[in-house]
Amino acid sequence: MKVEDSEAAVQSRAGARPMLVAVGIEKAFDRTRALAGAELDVYAGEVMGLLGANGAGKSTLSKVISGHVVRDAGSISLEGRMLSLRTAREAIQQGITMVMQETSLAPDLSVLENIFLAELGRQGRLSYRRLKRQSEEILDRLGQKETLPLDREVRLLSAAQRQLVEIAKALALNSTLIIFDEPTASLSPPEVERLFQIMTTLKRAGHTLVFVSHRLEEVFAITDRVTVMREGRTVAKSLETGTLSQAELIRLMVGQEVKPTVWQGMKSSVGLPLRPAVLEVKNLSSLPAVRDVSFKVHEGEILGLGGLVGAGRSETVEAIFGLRPRQRGEFLLNGKRYAPRCAADAIRAGIGFVAEDRRVQGIVPDFSVRENLLLGHLAASRKFGLGYSQRRLKVDELIQSLGLPAQRLDTHLLNFSGGMQQKIIIARWLLLDPLLLLLDEPTKGVDIGTRTSIYAMLRQVAESGVGIVVISSDFEELLSLCERIVVMSDGLSIAHVPSGMLNEEKLTLFAAPRTSMEKNSGFLRDIARDLNAAAFWTLIDQDRLFCLYAAVSNDQADPGFRAADTPRIDSTRIPTALGAKSENFVIEPGDQLATLLLSVRSARGHDMGWVGVTMDSRSPLPSARQLREQIGAFLARIIKSP
Amino acid sequence: MHSTIAERSLVSNLVGRLEVRMLGLALILGAALSILSPHFLTSNNLWNVLDQSVVVGIVAIGMTFVILIGGIDLSVGSIAGLTGVILGRGLEHFPIAIAIVLALIAGMVIGLFSGTLIAQFGLPAFVVTLGVMAIGRSLAYIFSGATAIADLPYKFGDMVYTSVLGIPANVLTLLVLYGLAWAYLNLTKGGRTIYAIGSNREAARTAGLNVLAFSILPYVISGGLSAVAITFSSAQVMSIDPVAGTGLELDAIAAVVIGGASLYGGRGSILGTLIGVLIMVMIRNGLNLLNVSPFWQGSAIGAVIIAAVLVERLLSSRAFSR
Repeated sequence: MKVEDSEAAVQSRAGARPMLVAVGIEKAFDRTRALAGAELDVYAGEVMGLLGANGAGKSTLSKVISGHVVRDAGSISLEGRMLSLRTAREAIQQGITMVMQETSLAPDLSVLENIFLAELGRQGRLSYRRLKRQSEEILDRLGQKETLPLDREVRLLSAAQRQLVEIAKALALNSTLIIFDEPTASLSPPEVERLFQIMTTLKRAGHTLVFVSHRLEEVFAITDRVTVMREGRTVAKSLETGTLSQAELIRLMVGQEVKPTVWQGMKSSVGLPLRPAVLEVKNLSSLPAVRDVSFKVHEGEILGLGGLVGAGRSETVEAIFGLRPRQRGEFLLNGKRYAPRCAADAIRAGIGFVAEDRRVQGIVPDFSVRENLLLGHLAASRKFGLGYSQRRLKVDELIQSLGLPAQRLDTHLLNFSGGMQQKIIIARWLLLDPLLLLLDEPTKGVDIGTRTSIYAMLRQVAESGVGIVVISSDFEELLSLCERIVVMSDGLSIAHVPSGMLNEEKLTLFAAPRTSMEKNSGFLRDIARDLNAAAFWTLIDQDRLFCLYAAVSNDQADPGFRAADTPRIDSTRIPTALGAKSENFVIEPGDQLATLLLSVRSARGHDMGWVGVTMDSRSPLPSARQLREQIGAFLARIIKSP
Repeated sequence: MHSTIAERSLVSNLVGRLEVRMLGLALILGAALSILSPHFLTSNNLWNVLDQSVVVGIVAIGMTFVILIGGIDLSVGSIAGLTGVILGRGLEHFPIAIAIVLALIAGMVIGLFSGTLIAQFGLPAFVVTLGVMAIGRSLAYIFSGATAIADLPYKFGDMVYTSVLGIPANVLTLLVLYGLAWAYLNLTKGGRTIYAIGSNREAARTAGLNVLAFSILPYVISGGLSAVAITFSSAQVMSIDPVAGTGLELDAIAAVVIGGASLYGGRGSILGTLIGVLIMVMIRNGLNLLNVSPFWQGSAIGAVIIAAVLVERLLSSRAFSR
């Protein structure tokens, strides 16, 4: 198929009327409402981004449209025809397929058999030769003939290859609308790149794509339009991606005004002297997820561990709690060496851990509230007996503070709301008067109202002197709950910042996977070395800057800040240049430093900060124009348009 | 010191639980049998029922522990056969007490072996104990020379026929073992850990409980109790046969399941198991008294097992949809 032809086809097909219209979709699982009036319009031949925070209902909506989940209410129409989808098969017959997050492949069958899984159910003989030819043709169309051996069993494939099988499967079913549910979640950056190429190819071939994600950069990179969901509702429908900024999208996702300059009203805690450290983590590594993590938690402090899923945050706290072996690094608990070999060691040392998945890792379903509450005690106890009675007073006190009637203590925990369940799991550790409490996504699956009460509970616990570490993918939660935030990325702790200096955008930039930063930092190091200078990438926000990376090859050219620093501009060595933001070298008055700044914009024109080069002006300066071109050429390569 | 908790768990065990319904079933069964047969409700026959409950009852205790952690032990019958042979060979060389201890240790070591393979290496309990079942039986034949060991010291039989306070020693042992098992499961850290592991292994691990040790322990208990059971059975018939205990695993599993335990783990009670054992033995006993062909026993017990599981499923699905 020639590209020009298909482009023309897209043009003609992209009419005024949307191809798929979903209105008023509702869906409840048990008591939780996953969707409450979700909408989606998709135009033929476009890439629609479906964006939202975790739990916003993106996946559920995708599953409703692809027939995997039956909706409770609402209507879906495809090209004017109303659809009443009850199974995925019916959706497939209408040309709608979903490429699932967890792939739905048969692991013991070959790639070929998986691509034509639907054919296997058909009566009569199968012509493997014909199927083979067809799948080769499909892979050829995707430009991926070499990447996928057809006779290989699927369980031997990488995550990216499996995804490719899913895509090929969708094409084998002649799907016109393909929904990608968080397709990049388990891919490495080069694999993401290739996926985007494939998606572009599909779009050119006339397919309509829905791209579900919560990663902003990806949405900007691949989509034509964006629909944003929040708490089961569509809050913004079919906005042109090109007209949006990151801040606008975040605001839509989070639902609150993002303060443009948060550090104007710096939090009081920033200036306060910190109390002694409860836990100090030094160069922790617990491979493969945790490579080098260091931070301190102080008495009475709520410390946030921010970062993207897969950054190694959960694994870090699991290592602290003795659930995961360490290769390197040490812990100091109240100044004393602490080396847990199992979770019981951690509990006896005064640490409590509330794991991410309450149902799987927290609750013992056949136990009463009381026994769930006493589970930590049981683990800490060295006695043969239960020793429940020694905790009775404390149990009574705790359930009273939770507002739980005493007679419900012996009922099943599962009969309570998610929020109350979570509070009881937290109270499991409070019962033991801990020094340190580790919480992994403490408000996951908890409704907004109860969240506030969990925050209040945590604050109260912190005020009593307990050090608290909170992991959250909800950046707003981190910013409002924590005094300081340690940002993690790819198993490294990369920044320790008072939360008052951050907003969601900056946190997002900091948390970006280091692998994607690696190229950039490598380039900056090259420049710094070649020019015997300093090269850096920073955000500038009024009177403060936010250094993402700095490579300093010459101490004479040190700009006075390093990666993850957040100094005030006038406390750096190059305040004039940072104020001037000039594309030509600006020499600091009374100093020999010459600095040039180049604005970095994404393909769609978003501010991604500044790349700067600082040199010792006593040595000859290179041509500013040449340097600009060199940097510009690099930036053009890393910030590709789709 | 633990009295309130003991009372509470006793009360919560008794009210509205499956084993209470099963106790009801046992009573109805008993009433029906005493109407149908004049011989059922005689003290002789009731002692008989208890006597017949001893072997399967003791093995079912260990099986309860194993099923509570979500495991299964198919090897109990073979371990009984093998440890019986070890006991018989021991009795040829050592005093009775030492021979029994040797058999007991052998049973526990075999349980430790299975439990370690299952818990440490994550092998499926079904497969491991199936393998041990085959090996155990084969070793029992080899060590016994494939013949019964008959000339046991006559004093060995005393352990069954001595009675304490009018209760035969084997029945007394059964009741004491059930009492100990109940106390362990309800009043100790280890017992609650076993329940927690069966109910949600990951949560138990995350909360810091010693999942590994308490996943192995039930198999050790099960192996040891198999040896205890065969000791009583041998003393009763004064003969040790390498085929002894064949099919014991199925009876024990059936008793535990009838007693209301979930094969997924975490749910079940020792009291329920005792009732399950009594129901099974009563059905056998009653059908014998009524001169029903013994071939019908399997059908009757099978029907009760399926009914028990069906009831559990219906009730638990209702409990979860609430």
